[in-house]
Amino acid sequence: MSTALLQELHQEVRRLYIAGSELAAGDFRLKRLLPQFQQLGERAPVFKRLGEGIAALLEPSAQQTQTSAETLQDLGLLLSSVLRTQGTISPEGELTAVKSRPNSLSTKLSYRKLAAVQEALTTTGSGRYEVIVQAFEAGMFQDLRLLKHAIAALNDPYIDIAECAMNRILPSYGPQIVPHLIELFNPSGGKLETRKLRVIGQVGGEEVADLIYQAAESGSDDVRVTAIELLAGREQYEEALLGWTKDKKKAIREAAYHALAAGGSARAVDRLYEAFSSKDIELAAEASFKCHSSELTKRLVRDLGLELKQASEAKEKEDKKKIEALWTKIQHFLTALDGKRSEALYDVFVHVTNHYSFFVSLGWLELFDAAAYYLEQTDTEAALALLHELEQHNVRYMPHSFRSSFRLLSPAQLYERYVESMRNKWKLQTNRDLAKRKKQLLSSIEQKVMSREYRPYPILWSIPNETVPLSTVVMLPLEQLAAQWDHRWLDWLIEQNALELVCAFAHPGHVAAKQFMIGKLESNPEFRNAFAGMLLSGLERAGVSDDVRWEALVTALEDKRNTNCYVFEGHVLEQLYQLPSAYCDRLAAVLSKFKYTAGEQLRYVVETMQAAESAANTSKPV
Amino acid sequence: MIEITESYVDSLAPNSSAIKNAQGLVKKRSFVQLNRSEDDALLFGECSGSGKSNYQCSADFIHPEKPVLRCSCPSRQLPCKHALGLLYAYIGGETFVTASVPEDIVAKREKAEKREEKKSQQAAEGAETKPKKVNKTALKKKIQAQLEGLELLEKLTLSLIRGGLATIDKKVLKTIQDHVKQMGNYYLTGAQTELRRLALLLSNADDREAIYTYAVEQLTLIHAFIKKGRAHLTAKLADPDLTLDHESTIEEWLGHAWQLAELKDCGLMAEQVELIQIAFLSYDDQARQEYVDQGYWLEQATGEIHRTVQYRPYRAAKHMREDDSFFDVALVKSLYRYPGDMNRRVRWEEMTSRPLEQHDLEPISAMAHRSYADVVKQVKNQLKNPLGDKNPVMLLHVAEVRQTEQGQFAITDAAGQHLALDDVFTFGHATVPLLPHVPAASLTDTTMLVMFEHGLDSGRLVAQPLTIIKGADMIRLLY
Repeated sequence: MSTALLQELHQEVRRLYIAGSELAAGDFRLKRLLPQFQQLGERAPVFKRLGEGIAALLEPSAQQTQTSAETLQDLGLLLSSVLRTQGTISPEGELTAVKSRPNSLSTKLSYRKLAAVQEALTTTGSGRYEVIVQAFEAGMFQDLRLLKHAIAALNDPYIDIAECAMNRILPSYGPQIVPHLIELFNPSGGKLETRKLRVIGQVGGEEVADLIYQAAESGSDDVRVTAIELLAGREQYEEALLGWTKDKKKAIREAAYHALAAGGSARAVDRLYEAFSSKDIELAAEASFKCHSSELTKRLVRDLGLELKQASEAKEKEDKKKIEALWTKIQHFLTALDGKRSEALYDVFVHVTNHYSFFVSLGWLELFDAAAYYLEQTDTEAALALLHELEQHNVRYMPHSFRSSFRLLSPAQLYERYVESMRNKWKLQTNRDLAKRKKQLLSSIEQKVMSREYRPYPILWSIPNETVPLSTVVMLPLEQLAAQWDHRWLDWLIEQNALELVCAFAHPGHVAAKQFMIGKLESNPEFRNAFAGMLLSGLERAGVSDDVRWEALVTALEDKRNTNCYVFEGHVLEQLYQLPSAYCDRLAAVLSKFKYTAGEQLRYVVETMQAAESAANTSKPV
Repeated sequence: MIEITESYVDSLAPNSSAIKNAQGLVKKRSFVQLNRSEDDALLFGECSGSGKSNYQCSADFIHPEKPVLRCSCPSRQLPCKHALGLLYAYIGGETFVTASVPEDIVAKREKAEKREEKKSQQAAEGAETKPKKVNKTALKKKIQAQLEGLELLEKLTLSLIRGGLATIDKKVLKTIQDHVKQMGNYYLTGAQTELRRLALLLSNADDREAIYTYAVEQLTLIHAFIKKGRAHLTAKLADPDLTLDHESTIEEWLGHAWQLAELKDCGLMAEQVELIQIAFLSYDDQARQEYVDQGYWLEQATGEIHRTVQYRPYRAAKHMREDDSFFDVALVKSLYRYPGDMNRRVRWEEMTSRPLEQHDLEPISAMAHRSYADVVKQVKNQLKNPLGDKNPVMLLHVAEVRQTEQGQFAITDAAGQHLALDDVFTFGHATVPLLPHVPAASLTDTTMLVMFEHGLDSGRLVAQPLTIIKGADMIRLLY
């Protein structure tokens, strides 16, 4: 066959190009080919020419002007042209019908749109995630040409992209994606395969249950863990899940416990409960935390009670090891019971609170944390009494007790409970315990009446139609505050020098509060911390007239201590906007002191004032 | 009434981020004011940006085939996102209040008109009085220089071959790189590109063995180029008129950039042509140091497939419009063809568009080649020419697409002739794996646009499917 011969010549010519044409003269492999070409050349002129080329290469004659390189180039050129006319076009193998996979995808996207996403999905570098998410949100992944890339994205080195593909992009294709993933799925693979499996499980429905089971049975460890997780709640595989809780590998057991807990059947509960008395107690505890079975809660509470009782016995015997073992176990019970509610559990926590000194002597403080949390949620008088008891024992529980009191007691009762009953004690400024108590109380009140937020403000000073988040203090509206809180708080807060809370509680007509705040502003005029802004809003709440507030604001700005302010808080900014233009000159005078954003903000205020003034002047008849 | 579609506006944009930003402006309601002129030939408006005052942007459709987009923003992109946003707002159905045409636009229109007048006047006069005069001495000098350059190139390649490719080391590569630079001095940009391609191939140190085949191919190509170039230049030198060769691609190879007027003079201009883009592709040609945007267009009247090529040099790529897929029908007033064989390069200056409709696509099936034997003959004939386009594109009628057990695909014509499908190496885009996702109905008795490539290693001629057209449905597997 002549094509084979041409290919052979091509290989030889290629070899000579690599080795150098100088070596062509007398090359014996080339020589061996020559007779065949000469023979074929008798019938086909092309072969004759090729034969001549070979001959010229083999024996450069003296009268020949061409160099060997030129001869080789001529031969190579001719040969490649000839070879190009000899290409085979038929496929190898038996042809059958195309295994078509019907889908709903189109090819309507233009190159520029598509290429940007393809690039993001196939390269590395920054900014890719946004491109991909935006493309997804614009529905671009419904283009057929992105399907392959979307699947490949599961293996993206940037984990957010891989997870976006797993959680959002691929599930959006619906069940039609499943066969593609199954085809590519390799149960013995690593993280990538778990992502594929998760998508399969998510959109595949009942049909893929068996595949998942197979993966759980015989896949790699990572794949098994994911598969077991996906089998949660499928009754037919419960038996298998129970079996896996006895697996040698911890990760498998863990996954199995979690899957059982999510299912929550009677047998699952039995198994989880059983695990509490084995080495798997930690795994079982974490799994049980997610289990909603009341039966399991009942059993665990009962056991917790028993363990606590054993503690006193152990203490008597001074068996330190035993106590330590009990505590480990109890901690697991607490983990499992976190967030669960039952009467029996309430009784357990009552018991715990009533034996405060005993359990504290063991150092089991977390027990009380759990109790305080539980009791706070209970919202009954009895629970409140217990919380108060805890609070007396340890000031750490004051926030729980205060929140609960706030809900259950009247405003007057609350005040009396926290201030009046200890009237005399509060005066002892030096007591350390008392200082702690005061701090807790003030912060508990603060949580109820004020919060700090970032609110968007239009950037009037440079880009008016965009906003920037500025820190602001949000306080409870005055009427609400008056209804929920006793009026005596304010006096006490002034007494305690609680600046921020005085601002929040200040109400019109309270002279002492007003004086307190003005005094504070004079001594703390720095706008770089939040006090000045807060004092200004406090003065506003106290109903102090505008001129007094404006004067206070401008005086504070003028104060020489006011230097390092980078940006004015939202509230201060609002106050600045309200200033009448009479203050223009005074503001202009201090402008140089403020730099960065604060400077721009202030300059904007001054310029607006000047503009308003000149407008007013021109409109006036002369 | 201005009739524009979203894809038309997309096509005006310089790149995809301009589209995104322009649509963002509409979404963010940044347009403070939207106006239209009474005769509906002008859209204008104000858009707020980062500057102090709003930008004044406008879209002038007084010549619908050549809209002028203006804006007062300082962006170097033309058209900028504000002007594009104005058009997107128009398409999106925003209300445009009728208003009188702003003064500055009236002035600009007048100026443009004057310019046009002057131009046509000059054209009229110029055509009558003097044809463009060529400085023959200078041209002769240039040809001489080109011949010298070819000489130098030949010396270099022959020395490379004499020593053998295996002996090429860093030092030799440096010599080749130097020669690449020198080719520029001899007005041989084509040679420069091909020599650079060879250098790029040889500097790939990872897998030398695999690239030898391509390097050999590249060397024979340069050889053919030297031979043809020299013959052409010598003949030209002997010709007292020094006329351009408008039959073959040799002028382009030698670095001639065809002017539209020259093409017109050679009788390579057709008027009122309707074109449908049936495939698009863009790639980075490192040897040219340019991005290349390539569109394949079907001329409705003749069934010929033309090729538009836009080169975007690396250095200017930022400021140049990136070409894009085009989904409408292009109505071209004057279409200029380049010399060449199959898939001739075409260019046009002005076009309008209309939406693609069912009756545009249906006749395509009749234009497809039905006998693969003939097709392969044509393709091989083209491939035989060492300086011809190595990747001809043809429209084929497909009786059936089938596959082998090993997953290789093939198409069959009515006579039962098979043609194996595979992805071509040159551009590196895979489309064959998409075939199973194409609806089964589109795989029988259908029309397929394929790109051919001959693999010198494998000795196979493969075809890559680019687009499938069935009835009124066009599935673009590439772009």
